[in-house]
Amino acid sequence: MRKSSLYPRLAVLSIKNNGKFYYPYILTCIFTIAMYYIMVFIQTNEGIRDMPGSDSLKSFMEFGSVIIGIFATIFLFYTNSFLMRRRKKELGLYNILGMEKRHIARVLFWETVITGIGSIALGLSCGILLSKLVLMLLLNLLQFSVPFGFSVSQKGVSSSIFLFSAVFVLILLSNLLKIKLSKPIELLKGGEMGQREPKTKVLLTIIGILSLGAGYAIAILTKSPLQAIFLFFIAVLLVIVGTYLLFTTGSIAMLKLLRKNKKYYYKTKHFTAVSGLIYRMKQNAMGLASICILSTMVLVTISTTVALYAGFEDIIGHMFPSDILINVYNPAPGEVQGKYEKIMDEVSRNGLEASDIKVYTSLSFAAKRDGNRFAAYDNNYVSDGVSELFFITSREYEALTGRPADLSPGEILVYSRQEMQEEYLEILDMRYKVKGYLENFDIYEQRTIASVVDTHYIVLRDEAELNGIYQKHQKQAEAFEYKRSPMIGNIAFDLDGNKQEVIACYRDISAAASEPYEYTYTDENGSAKKAESSSSFSVSCRQLSSDEIYNTYGGFLFLGIFLGSLFLVAAILIIYYKQITEGYSDRERFAIMQKVGMSRAEVKSTIGSQVITVFFLPLAVSCIHIAFAFSIMTKILRVFGLVNVVLFALCTAGTIAVFAVIYAAVYAVTARVYYKIVS
Amino acid sequence: MTVLEVKNLVKIYTTRFGGSQVQALRNVNFSVEEGEFVAIMGESGSGKTTLLNILAALDKPTRGEVWLDGRNLNDIKEKDISAFRRDKLGFVFQDFNLLDNFSIQDNILLPLVLAGKTYDEMEIRLLKIVERLSISDILKKFPYEVSGGQKQRTAIARALIAEPRILLADEPTGALDSNTASGLLRLFCGINGGGQTILMVTHSVMAASHAKRVLFIRDGELFHQIYRGNMKNEQLYQKIADTLTMLATGGEYGA
Repeated sequence: MRKSSLYPRLAVLSIKNNGKFYYPYILTCIFTIAMYYIMVFIQTNEGIRDMPGSDSLKSFMEFGSVIIGIFATIFLFYTNSFLMRRRKKELGLYNILGMEKRHIARVLFWETVITGIGSIALGLSCGILLSKLVLMLLLNLLQFSVPFGFSVSQKGVSSSIFLFSAVFVLILLSNLLKIKLSKPIELLKGGEMGQREPKTKVLLTIIGILSLGAGYAIAILTKSPLQAIFLFFIAVLLVIVGTYLLFTTGSIAMLKLLRKNKKYYYKTKHFTAVSGLIYRMKQNAMGLASICILSTMVLVTISTTVALYAGFEDIIGHMFPSDILINVYNPAPGEVQGKYEKIMDEVSRNGLEASDIKVYTSLSFAAKRDGNRFAAYDNNYVSDGVSELFFITSREYEALTGRPADLSPGEILVYSRQEMQEEYLEILDMRYKVKGYLENFDIYEQRTIASVVDTHYIVLRDEAELNGIYQKHQKQAEAFEYKRSPMIGNIAFDLDGNKQEVIACYRDISAAASEPYEYTYTDENGSAKKAESSSSFSVSCRQLSSDEIYNTYGGFLFLGIFLGSLFLVAAILIIYYKQITEGYSDRERFAIMQKVGMSRAEVKSTIGSQVITVFFLPLAVSCIHIAFAFSIMTKILRVFGLVNVVLFALCTAGTIAVFAVIYAAVYAVTARVYYKIVS
Repeated sequence: MTVLEVKNLVKIYTTRFGGSQVQALRNVNFSVEEGEFVAIMGESGSGKTTLLNILAALDKPTRGEVWLDGRNLNDIKEKDISAFRRDKLGFVFQDFNLLDNFSIQDNILLPLVLAGKTYDEMEIRLLKIVERLSISDILKKFPYEVSGGQKQRTAIARALIAEPRILLADEPTGALDSNTASGLLRLFCGINGGGQTILMVTHSVMAASHAKRVLFIRDGELFHQIYRGNMKNEQLYQKIADTLTMLATGGEYGA
C-alpha cells in the first residue's frame, strides 16, 4: 500500500463511520445542486422563450436561482457546522493518536473532495434527469404543450459546478481554520461543551416583543394595498427579528419565570419539563427559530401562489370586465365618439358582433379626504389616506345603468365602499349636496387602481360641472410631481368570436385607434380651425392578457412550489440534525434520571413530551405568524387582482394542513432515530 | 435487623449473538445489618459494579435472590420498581451523576419531587440535610460551578434526602483528590454514626479502611471479610493492605 493513498482511505472511512451525520449532509448537497441546476435550466430553456409572458417568467427564474444560490450557501455552511461539532471528538482522537494537524487537514481535504465531487456529480445527474420532469410540470401548469426532446443546459452545468465548487472550498477553509485554532483537548471535549444555563436577557426579550408586536401591528393595521407591498417587507423583517429574539431569550425568560413559582415548579410533571426545556431551548433556539421562519416562508409562498393560480378566472374577470377596452386619455371634443365608430367598423370588418357596449367619459384623480372635504392630491397612492375620485355625468350614468339620476344643479349621487354619511361634500372647495348614496355601481372600468385604492364614485349633473372640476383640478395639478390625464374616454364591449378571432380583431382595433384624430374648434376670433388631438390611448384585450397573466401566475406557483420544497427540505434537515444531537445529550440524562428513581416509562414520557413541545413549537408559531399576516396578504393579493378572500383563506388552510401532515411525518421518522439513540 | 440479604447470586452475561458467556457473579452470599457500614473491595472486573447494579435493581440476576427491607426484589413488579428504588435506596456514584440543567438545590430535591412531596416538606428536609453536609451556601449554583467535593456532597444529599434504608456508594472517592476524599469518608462515618446503613463499593484501601466491615470480591466470588472490631483506621488499613497483597500473590487466607 502506498502511503499517499492513506488519507483518501481514511476520509472514506470517516465518511462511512459518520454516516448518520454525513449522509443527510450529502443528500442536502445533491438536492440543492439539482434544484439549482433545474432553475438555471428552465431559465435558459428554448421552449420557454416562445411563451407569452416569458420575460416575466424568465426573471422569476433568475430571481429563483439567485435565492437558491444564496440559500444553498448559507444552508450548507450551517449543516457542515453541525457535522463538524459532532466530529470534534474523532478529530481530537486522531490528533492525540499522533496525527499532526496537517495530517488531519489532509483527511478533511479528501473528505471535502470526495463529498464535493460526489455530490456535484450526483446532483447534476439528478438535476439533468429531473429537469425534463420539472419542465413538464411547469408547462402543464401553464397549459402549454410540452416539446419533444431532451436537452442539457450548458450554462446550468457550468454555473452549478462553479458555484458549488466555490461553496465547498469555502467550507473546507472554514473547517481547516477551526481545526487550526483548537487544541486537541478541546477537540476531545468539543461535543460536550456549552451546557451552561442561559442567562435571562430582559432587554433583548423586550426588543423581541416590541419588534414582533410592531410587525404584527403593521400587518393588521395596513389598509391600503399599495402601502401593504412596501410595509410587508418591513413587517417581515420585524417578525423575523422578533421570532429569533423571542425564541432565544423570550422562551428562556418565560421558563425561568415559571421556575420561580415554587408551588408550580416542584411538581413531578413540571419539574423536569421546565428545567429540561430551559436547557433545550438554549441549544435549539436558533435552529427552532430558523425552522419557524422557514415554515412560515413555505406557508406564505405556497398559499399565495396557489391562491393566485386557483383564483385565476376570478382575477381575469375582475381585471377585465370586458373583452376589449379602449381608454382614450385626454380626449378632444367628439374624439371618443369618433374612435368608437371607427372601432365598430373594424369589428364588423372582422365579421364579429359587439355586445354589452359601454361608451362614456370619466374624470378621475387622486384626492385626500378630510371629513367631508376632498382636496386634490399628487398621484402618489402609497401615502396614507389617499383615495381616488371618479366622476361621470348623469346622462351617461342613466344610459349605462338604465336608472334615473334626476339631479338638480349642485346635486350628486355617491357610491363608496367607505363609510360615508355626509349630507354635503366639498370637492376641490366646491360644495355639492349628496342626493343619495348608491347601493352599487356597476360601471367598473378596467383599472387595477380601482381594486387597490379606495374609490369614491360620483355622478355629476352634467358636462358643465364635470368640466368645472376638471379645470379646477388642472390648475392645481400643475405643481404635482406625478402627472396623469384625469379625463378618460372609455369604450368597452364583448365580442362573440373565439379566442383567435378576438385577438385578430384586437390587433385591427389597435391599429385603427392609433390613427390620429382631427377635430375642428373655434378660436378666439370665431373662425373654425382644424387641429390634431393630443390624446393618447391604450387598448387591452382580455383574451390576450389572460394568457400572459396565466403564465405569470403559473410561473409564480411553480416558483412557490419549487422554493417551498427547498425551504421544506431545509426545515426537515434542521429538524433531523436537532433530533440526533439532542438524542446524544439526552442519553446521559436519561440514564441518570433512571438511577435517581424515575421509571423507564416516566423518563420516556417526560422526554417525549418535551421533544414534542420543542418540535411543534415552530409550527405553532408559524401558524400564528400566518394568522397575523393574513390580512396584509389579502391586501397584497388585491394588487395582483385577487379579491376573493374566501379562496385565499381556503388555500391557506389547505397549505397549512398539508404542511402539518408532512411535518408530523418528519417528526415520526426522526423521533424513531432519536429514541434509538437514547435507549 | 437485616436490611439487605443476598442469597446465591449468579449473573451470567451472554454476548450479543449468544456466542460466549461471561460469568460476572458466581454464588454470592452476604447480608447487611441495620446501621452497618460495609465496604466491598475488588479489582476492576471483579464483579463489583455488576453486584451493585443488581442490588440497585437496575439489573436482574440470572439466579439467586436479593432481599431488601424484607422484600424480594425479584417479586417487585416492573412498574413499582422505580418507586421502590426511590424510597428505599440512595445512590452515590463515582462521577456524581448530577444533572447540569438543575441547580444544586433542585438536584437534591429531585427524588422528593418525583415522589410527589409538597414543597413545604421538601424545604424542611432540605435545610436539615444541607446543614449537615455544609453545602447550604451553594444551593443556587449549578453543578458546573462547584468543586468535585461539593458535587459529591450534593450527590450524597440527594441520596439521603428520601431517607433511604440503605445508601449505595459506587467508588465515591474515585474522582476526588486525597484531601477531599478523606473529608468525604469522614462524612460517611459521621452519617453512619447517625444510624444510616451504608454499602460502599471501592478498590481504594483508604476508602475501605473507614468501613466497619470489608468484604473482598474476586472473579465474581466473595471469599473473605474483615471486621473492624476495635481497630483504628490505620490498623484496618494495614490489615486490608496485607490481605490484598496476599490475594495478589496468591497466598492462602485466614482470619
